[in-house]
Amino acid sequence: MSPELIIALLAAAVQAGTPILYATLGEIISEKSGVLNLGVEGVMAFASFAGFFVCLVTGSAWLGFLAGGLSGALLCGLHSLVCQVFLGNQVVSGLALAIFGVGLSTFFGTPFVGQSTEGFAKFALPGLAKLPVLGPILFQQDALVYLCYLMPVAVWLFLERTSLGLRLRAAGEMPAAAAAAGLNPRMLRALGTMAGGFLCGLGGAYISLAHMHLWATGLSGGRGWVAVALVVFAFWRPGRAALGAFLFGGFMAFQLRLQATGTNIPSSLLLMLPYALTILALVAPAVRARAAKGGAGAAPAALGVNIEPEG
Amino acid sequence: MNLTVRKREESLGWGVLVVYLGALALAFGVCALLLTLAGKPGLGGMLILFRGAFGQGYSLLDSLTKAVPIFLCALGVALSFRMQIWNIGAEGQFALGAVGGAWAALTFAGLPGIVLLPLVFLCAMTCGAAWGLIPAVLKLRLGVSEVITSLMLNYIGALLLEFLVFGIWRDPGSFGFPMTAEFSSGAQIARIAPGVLGKLHWGVLACPLAGVAYALFLSRTRLGFELMACGEGERVARYAQLPYGFLVLLVLGLGGALAGLAGSIESSATLGRLQPTMLMGYGYTAIVVAWLARLKPWPIAFTAYLLASFRVGVEVLQLELQVPAAFGSIMEGAILLFVIAGQFFLSYSVSLAHPVVAQAKGARP
Amino acid sequence: MAEASTKTPHCTPRADIGCVDVLPQVRLCGVSKRFGRVLASDDISLSIMPGRIKALLGENGAGKSTLMSMLAGRFRPDAGHIEVAGAVVDFDSPRQAIAAGIGMVYQHFMLVENMSVAENVLLGQEGGFALNPARMRATVDALSRRFGLGIDARARVGDLSMGERQRVEILKLLYRESKVLIFDEPTAVLTPPEAESLFAALRSMSAQGKAIVFISHKLEEVLSVADEIAILRRGRIEGEFLASEVQSPAELARRMVGRDVVLDIPREPVQPGRVVLDVRGLSGNGLGDVNLSLRQGEILAVVGVAGNGQQQLVETICGLARPEAGTVELLGHVWDEFYKHRDWDGALAWVPEDRAGLATCRTLDLTDNLLLTTREGFTRGVWLDRARARAAARDIVREHNVQPGRIGLQAWQLSGGNLQKFVLGRELSRRPRLLVAEQPTQGLDIPATEAVWQRLLDARKSTGVLLVTGDLSEALALADRVAVLFRGRVLGQFPVTDTAQVERIGALMAGLEGGAL
Repeated sequence: MSPELIIALLAAAVQAGTPILYATLGEIISEKSGVLNLGVEGVMAFASFAGFFVCLVTGSAWLGFLAGGLSGALLCGLHSLVCQVFLGNQVVSGLALAIFGVGLSTFFGTPFVGQSTEGFAKFALPGLAKLPVLGPILFQQDALVYLCYLMPVAVWLFLERTSLGLRLRAAGEMPAAAAAAGLNPRMLRALGTMAGGFLCGLGGAYISLAHMHLWATGLSGGRGWVAVALVVFAFWRPGRAALGAFLFGGFMAFQLRLQATGTNIPSSLLLMLPYALTILALVAPAVRARAAKGGAGAAPAALGVNIEPEG
Repeated sequence: MNLTVRKREESLGWGVLVVYLGALALAFGVCALLLTLAGKPGLGGMLILFRGAFGQGYSLLDSLTKAVPIFLCALGVALSFRMQIWNIGAEGQFALGAVGGAWAALTFAGLPGIVLLPLVFLCAMTCGAAWGLIPAVLKLRLGVSEVITSLMLNYIGALLLEFLVFGIWRDPGSFGFPMTAEFSSGAQIARIAPGVLGKLHWGVLACPLAGVAYALFLSRTRLGFELMACGEGERVARYAQLPYGFLVLLVLGLGGALAGLAGSIESSATLGRLQPTMLMGYGYTAIVVAWLARLKPWPIAFTAYLLASFRVGVEVLQLELQVPAAFGSIMEGAILLFVIAGQFFLSYSVSLAHPVVAQAKGARP
Repeated sequence: MAEASTKTPHCTPRADIGCVDVLPQVRLCGVSKRFGRVLASDDISLSIMPGRIKALLGENGAGKSTLMSMLAGRFRPDAGHIEVAGAVVDFDSPRQAIAAGIGMVYQHFMLVENMSVAENVLLGQEGGFALNPARMRATVDALSRRFGLGIDARARVGDLSMGERQRVEILKLLYRESKVLIFDEPTAVLTPPEAESLFAALRSMSAQGKAIVFISHKLEEVLSVADEIAILRRGRIEGEFLASEVQSPAELARRMVGRDVVLDIPREPVQPGRVVLDVRGLSGNGLGDVNLSLRQGEILAVVGVAGNGQQQLVETICGLARPEAGTVELLGHVWDEFYKHRDWDGALAWVPEDRAGLATCRTLDLTDNLLLTTREGFTRGVWLDRARARAAARDIVREHNVQPGRIGLQAWQLSGGNLQKFVLGRELSRRPRLLVAEQPTQGLDIPATEAVWQRLLDARKSTGVLLVTGDLSEALALADRVAVLFRGRVLGQFPVTDTAQVERIGALMAGLEGGAL
């Protein structure tokens, strides 16, 4: 492959990794607050439509992006309601949300299939874009990619360097301790879920507004599940999430390129690879953790465990 | 005013029915609302759906036929949910079962039905079980959560099926359609009474057999008891020396075998060949069914039938109002969400605390 | 004293307790709280004075924790009210109680293990949206130095000992400038020297004007640290005394329980039989060269503060962990051989510490909970004989007086004491020759404790009992021999009749003697 081709491939990798990174970071916030949200796929699917629709109606890509985030937060509000108020099983509720969200996006999206939108255009960041190699890969992208570069740091700062982040983590590690400190762990968990849902929604909106620029059924294409798996791969750390998401993006871009250039490999086999890779993303850290005998990268202690009423 | 929530000491009795009906009614309300939002008649649409689901004799039979794979998959799912193993891979195990069955059907096409059909089922169950065992082994050996792995295997399984019917198994005479050649008559399951009972086929018999076996296994056998006790977590399993690892393999293997059986029944009876359109999300519906039925065998049978009829109803709605098929997923998702929320009232009682504090304030010495 | 006992002055606080001219920091006025059918607090009135240590003495289940949870804002009283510094308050949440200067150290620490000391101390009181870790550490370090608590603010709480964690809890209250400090059973997890230093800290804090409430069921502790003692029984105040008035601890005990306490159970000697457990040079997995030997007819108590290798020792003996080095012989068979074909009956039984989460399944009924460890006895081929299991469960319920005696109840519906009696009954029904009992009476009330002790003493006629406990009085009441475990090593092993050695147990438990440090 020529160097130009590799650079183009890596630029495509960044773009493919961006929605996954938004969603992975969202799921990290949610899980840090103690809520396992398996509904990411549904949230992304619905948000990709909501973003597209609002952009189509208002003509503003940014409003569309925001709508994607808000619709994600709203759907995750349902998950919060079921798990925090009605103490429903988080695994099953998340699955229900995934089914529900994917259904919603197809149901409302069907009349719009094939329509396209301007969405977000790519523009070169002055100065940085002229860097050799890195410039065309990283800095000739759209605004949401640039925003995405800041997100891991922002999420890390939020979780580790703000009082709200500290409280969220307490709700995810030991809700009783948070309650004894005068906090409301259920509220914190709901907040964490919805904030995470907002980010997942942004990821979904990115797909329709900046990546594909059109509406089609099944745009999210399993990225939500990838995000859930990457949280484990990332040991719940935003920095590692970026690594995982862009690695994954690179892989998807490579696979698309392979399909486009018309190899002899049947497309169904190529399409399998991302899913196989997701399993690998879970297996690899498990193998490493086994070698290191646990310790680092443990899940929040109360992840997936609901807060039972007292008395 | 202050709400107090307490764990229920006694079961709710008939209140259970109220809770479920209430949850269903709310879910239907949401569905009607969404129809209205999409510019279709909300209430009218739901009525069309119900008429389609329960209105005519043939829709009842159609539902029963569709309930067969859902019921079998749901039993498998419930088995693993019983011990808090979140197997959501029924769809993939279903696909692999169909593939395994098709392999036997195509390879030994010449054999008579009495030999071939059991062989088809055996291959299907083996393949389904093997697919289910992958997440089990990864969980036991490496501690990888079965949720994502079993789900990813759904996608991979579906693509594997596609790969085969687009490639080496494609029927040359299918005019480019992705499907295998029609199975020989020995590998097909006959309809019971084509004129009278519609599409209903002999495969339906697998349901009572599997259901009774499931009920007996859980309530009467030692292994079934050990499985239920394992549901309390790995710590208890260690203390009581329960064979946790073996049971994980067992539930995922059996669950896969049941889903695989369902897959081969679907291809051998309903379609008569292997083709990708057979993957209609029965494996996901099975999860909804298992949870709604609280993992109990008879409720699973009833709920499987109910959700199968909703699927039939949605098909009618699709024809009459041009509503996308995804409406079915919305409905299943909404029902599941409302029922999970409603199950809260089965385990907890909510009461208003008496605001006596205010009175006592006046009585200060 | 005699007069007080006849009048049962439970409604009005005694006027001569505390200084009349000083306003109580907190006053409870006729507070009641009901949980379902249980009246956990019944018309309780109590004054908590600044600069004094008030002990709240009562058995488990007497309503101590409920009372204090109302003070801490976790529950609201059904009737009555609470005054703080003379003003009526109505707490909706712990947050308001904290703001009102009431701080609580719970028996089970409310600390996030995976966070630093500084983060734990400041949780909920961060003072601003952005956190400055350096400043947080400096604040907490300064506070720790000022009160001489010796805690490093950077340490991860999960790495600290129980005593250190308790000091983190105290730091939390000091940081919030709480005026009332409530300690719920604070010595349960401490070594005797750690408890002594806690008492010193309590006295120093009370000298600085803090009001301290000390909840306990241990008489000696209460007498050594408290200024005032209130006895709580069945949700009512059974009497209030100045510590200086108390002449006889036995009288206090009688009033706490409501009848004479016979914790001194007569132990008829049993002739020791053959060796049932022989541990030689067991090392690895947190243990270091452990040597123990136990005969039929004997009770060997392994005492120590929780987390010093008890769990590893028990898990090895009970077959969950294979010995890494050294040998373990059970009933004359080496470990591997014993666990290759072990019998459910007539061999080994285990009463674990966690009776609600490990020994039983919360949502299974008593019959199924019986089957948990005895299922092999009720198996025919692949089938399970539930009818016979039900009969057996009924027998256990009757024989061990488990209340309420319905075998259809689920485990969570039983009180701790009754569940423990059931578990013990189940394990004894396996006719063990070696019985491992971990903390068998932790959290039980006195009648249940007596029942469990009696059963264990009876059991030793046919079995050797390995009693793992942190309660020294339990060990001394039951055991023939005591072994002290510290950091995975046995620091001393001697008969309970050896009074000189028994004196040293406290120091051994803390690792101050025996060559551990």
